[in-house]
Amino acid sequence: MPKIIVLYVKYVDAISIKVGRATMYLIFAMIGCLLLGSITRNILHMPLSWTVEMAQFMITAYYIAGGAYSMILREHVRMDLIYEHLSEKTRAKVDVVTTFFLLFYLLVLLFGSVSSTMYAIEYGQRNFSQWNPSMIPIKIIMVAGIVLMILESISVLFKDIAAARGIKIS
Amino acid sequence: MSYELIALTMFGGMLLLMLTGQRVFAAIGFVSAAAALLLYGNGAIEMPFNAAFKLFNWYPMLTLPLFVYMGYVLSESGIADDLYTMFHVWFGRINGGLAVGTIGLMVVISAMNGLSVAGMAIGATIALPEMLRRGYDKVMITGVVQAGSSLGILVPPSVVLVLYGMIARQPVGRLWLAGVFPGLMMAAFFAIYIVIRCKMQPELAPVVSKEELDMPFKEKLRYLRAGIIPFLIFFFMTGLFLMGITSLVESSAVGATAATIAAISKGCFTRKVIEESVRKTLGISCMFMWVILAALSFGAVFDGIGAVRAIESLFITTWHLSPWQVLVMMQLSYIIMGMFLDDTAMLVIVAPLYVPLIIHLGFNPIWYGVLYTITCQIAYMTPPFGYNLFLMRAMAPPEITLPDIYRSIVPFVLIMVFSLILIMIFPQITLWLPDYIYAK
Repeated sequence: MPKIIVLYVKYVDAISIKVGRATMYLIFAMIGCLLLGSITRNILHMPLSWTVEMAQFMITAYYIAGGAYSMILREHVRMDLIYEHLSEKTRAKVDVVTTFFLLFYLLVLLFGSVSSTMYAIEYGQRNFSQWNPSMIPIKIIMVAGIVLMILESISVLFKDIAAARGIKIS
Repeated sequence: MSYELIALTMFGGMLLLMLTGQRVFAAIGFVSAAAALLLYGNGAIEMPFNAAFKLFNWYPMLTLPLFVYMGYVLSESGIADDLYTMFHVWFGRINGGLAVGTIGLMVVISAMNGLSVAGMAIGATIALPEMLRRGYDKVMITGVVQAGSSLGILVPPSVVLVLYGMIARQPVGRLWLAGVFPGLMMAAFFAIYIVIRCKMQPELAPVVSKEELDMPFKEKLRYLRAGIIPFLIFFFMTGLFLMGITSLVESSAVGATAATIAAISKGCFTRKVIEESVRKTLGISCMFMWVILAALSFGAVFDGIGAVRAIESLFITTWHLSPWQVLVMMQLSYIIMGMFLDDTAMLVIVAPLYVPLIIHLGFNPIWYGVLYTITCQIAYMTPPFGYNLFLMRAMAPPEITLPDIYRSIVPFVLIMVFSLILIMIFPQITLWLPDYIYAK
């Protein structure tokens, strides 16, 4: 494979792993945030209105930003009725073709997220709630997460192309 | 193109794409995105993305990663080992005692967790190797672990019932309580089946030697203490929620904290365990969330073409089905679709189509939630597509082959179908407990 592709795979994978490994610890932040809400309300009698909403923002960031890393971890289920009977090379070949569907979906998500973020910035969109937080930060995080997911999918595509030829990169 | 044809094309396209072995979320996402653009033009480009905000507003989904995390901490923390010993000591003398004990273990795990992942992990890593070592029949015990762990989504807490509650707009507390008796009933049926089968074919389950079980009664009581931690976790999580002290998502955070504290107190919360649990939690949660994201977008397109009306008119106006026939058709169609298409996606796509019709026909939506969950359990276990099958294959010891796994579920699926029919005929099995508690 050309050197530039090998480098691309190396760097994109490294970024996905870094981002994913940072994101995975958000689970503790979610637990802490929700715990804080139940303690302040029940024990201190000082209800906070923002804890659940904050956790909602966190889980959104969690699965969108963690998406690329979960691709590397190969966690996404596939229906393997036929797939599992194929040789490793054939699987890679099939994946090279069907990654088109993955990329199409992700690109539509990206267009949607960008236009939704532009709207949020233009009109200063806020979430309709007591806390009334701005929706701009989470939307920007989502755009970034989807971009990373696309970059990682291209990296996976390169790895599949290599595997289809019987080479292994990274 | 008529709406029926569009709906069929979308389903067919999804099935075809899944057959290629591409990731499930990509298959569903592509069909929904392509259909949105074709049907509604460029204005619909935001549709798949907006599903993320529907998911955002479904805040009870927060319970999903928290339960996954909790499941991994529980299976790593050694709490399950003690419990298994307890069941072993107390049930050892019965025919197939270890298998019955495993069912008991699975019920306790189910009461602490809302998914079947935890039960599967604990069953496959602790119970299976132990029973294999003692010469139990591998096909039978594989079925035991699969069926037992599937109770995780029926016995409260339950993530599937949370998802159903959001789709059907029903209170999660009632749904959870409705799952209690059906869950215990099924567990009892599993146990009865094991005992009878092992009486008839003792070679399936060699009896544990007397010396091993002969211990002073005091010692036996000591083992009961292993049950205290699970009870406390259950109380802090589901108990506080049902008493109205913590909200649903808060209670799952309390449960996750309780499991973490239990692991720390046993000295099992090492760096390696933390890293492992947190990473696996991210992986599994992302897998589910992306599937749900894509399925929500698919559902939105479906909703846009008036699929609910179409199904209603098909069942009632065209086929002249009675309410009960409609119900049976729904369950059958769900089991059949669930075999070939992704089960979680099916739940998200199909439930919004069925639930309004169920309410319209005068059925109780709480009761239907339980029927739906049991159907899900069956769908999760039946080949060729089932999450429990995937998990089992990934976690089971190598001597258990794929045909073993497929064969193992047959008797248990039959028991589940039997339970399903029983609950259809006697709705009180589900409704008695929530009615009793909420009537006060």
